[in-house]
Amino acid sequence: MKNYFITFRSVTFAQKGERVLKRSGINCLLRRTPKALTTRECGYCLQLRPGDFQQALALLEAAQVQFGKIYAMDFAGEFEEMAL
Amino acid sequence: MIYLDNGATSFHKPPGVYRAVSQALRRCANPGRGGYAAAMEAAETVYGCRETAAELFGCQPEQVVFTANCTHALNIAIRTLVKGGETVVVSGFEHNAVTRPLHALKANLRTAGRKLFDWDNMLFDFERALKRGAKAAVFTHVSNVFGYILPVEEMAALCQHYRVPFVIDAAQSAGVLPVHLERLGADFIAMPGHKGLLGPQGTGILLCGREPDPLICGGTGSASAQQEMPDFLPDRAEAGTLNVPGIAGLYEGLRYLRHMGIRNVFEREHKAALACIRMLESLGFRVFSGDHQAATVSFLPNMDCEDAAQLLARQGIAVRAGLHCAPLAHQSAGTLDTGTVRVSFGHDAALQQVEALRRGVEVLSA
Repeated sequence: MKNYFITFRSVTFAQKGERVLKRSGINCLLRRTPKALTTRECGYCLQLRPGDFQQALALLEAAQVQFGKIYAMDFAGEFEEMAL
Repeated sequence: MIYLDNGATSFHKPPGVYRAVSQALRRCANPGRGGYAAAMEAAETVYGCRETAAELFGCQPEQVVFTANCTHALNIAIRTLVKGGETVVVSGFEHNAVTRPLHALKANLRTAGRKLFDWDNMLFDFERALKRGAKAAVFTHVSNVFGYILPVEEMAALCQHYRVPFVIDAAQSAGVLPVHLERLGADFIAMPGHKGLLGPQGTGILLCGREPDPLICGGTGSASAQQEMPDFLPDRAEAGTLNVPGIAGLYEGLRYLRHMGIRNVFEREHKAALACIRMLESLGFRVFSGDHQAATVSFLPNMDCEDAAQLLARQGIAVRAGLHCAPLAHQSAGTLDTGTVRVSFGHDAALQQVEALRRGVEVLSA
């Protein structure tokens, strides 16, 4: 099963996103962004299950929470950037 | 001790504040710098405080910038709007936290509204000052010396009408009166965390209606590869490690206020202040009072005001005497040479405090 990662520019925005999703019943994990996804940056991301991904994006956009890029991680642990 | 110096800092905090500070010291590492439990608990504490402040003060969580105190917040705001030598409109009741940064920037101060408790005078003068053009306006919500509540909503509307950016100093009003960034349309609102918000000393908040210029630069835990400060809030104005134990205490102070209701806190304080005014007047002191007064009362004793405060201190009553870091306010009220004795009530205001003060000041009038 794939996992999805939504990156944020700061922990504050990641926390804001986490609150929005959890208040809508979507489970997510706030964590440091895997180094493979960042170019010489430090950051935080939300890790989501596939079934919640589309709704999560819609909720973040509706709440105007600024986020960065979106990645899917396959079974082998390889990341692929998703087009918005 | 009968503590009546809440204008300087709140002294009796809600019990949860003490617990939260202690707990944060034991359990919180650096927020936004790691993914382990102690760093995430720190981040959670900071964000919880940010979110609660945003809810109370009408803005988004990222618009809440944590500072060391209200003065720090005012310096960020003022140095964003004023670069040097420009004209700035201020009220006649500003604290040195406003006037000293402006003086350092060699700003040309245009002072409006010198009559105590007189909204007509304030609004007439203020509009006249804005009409002539200004780089910015900076004004207090409540005078820290006299408790005079300024007509900030009308002053904010005038600033918007004349397109003058403005800063509100909510040092004496946050936690006691409604303060709403979006409704007021302010560029910045500065407030201490340790007065009406009941947090520990070393905490302050700057509500940002626009992007501030950083006062200090350094690590933020974000955008780490670039040498410029981040262009997003709150990181842009929060270089270096935050005061997490202080913010944890502030968070509890905010939660207490949300539970109690700011209006209820004001009514309790105001009731005590009115009783205090009546009591002091009945003893023959000159008391500075009027409409639009918060829970701070200044009076002139029949002796040196510092001696009077010292006599009260010996009886276990804590008040503040002198100029209260606000010479402009004293100049406006005609008390620059004498100073005043200031009584300022807090969230625990009670008529018993007024009665204790009465016994104390009777010694002064004897």
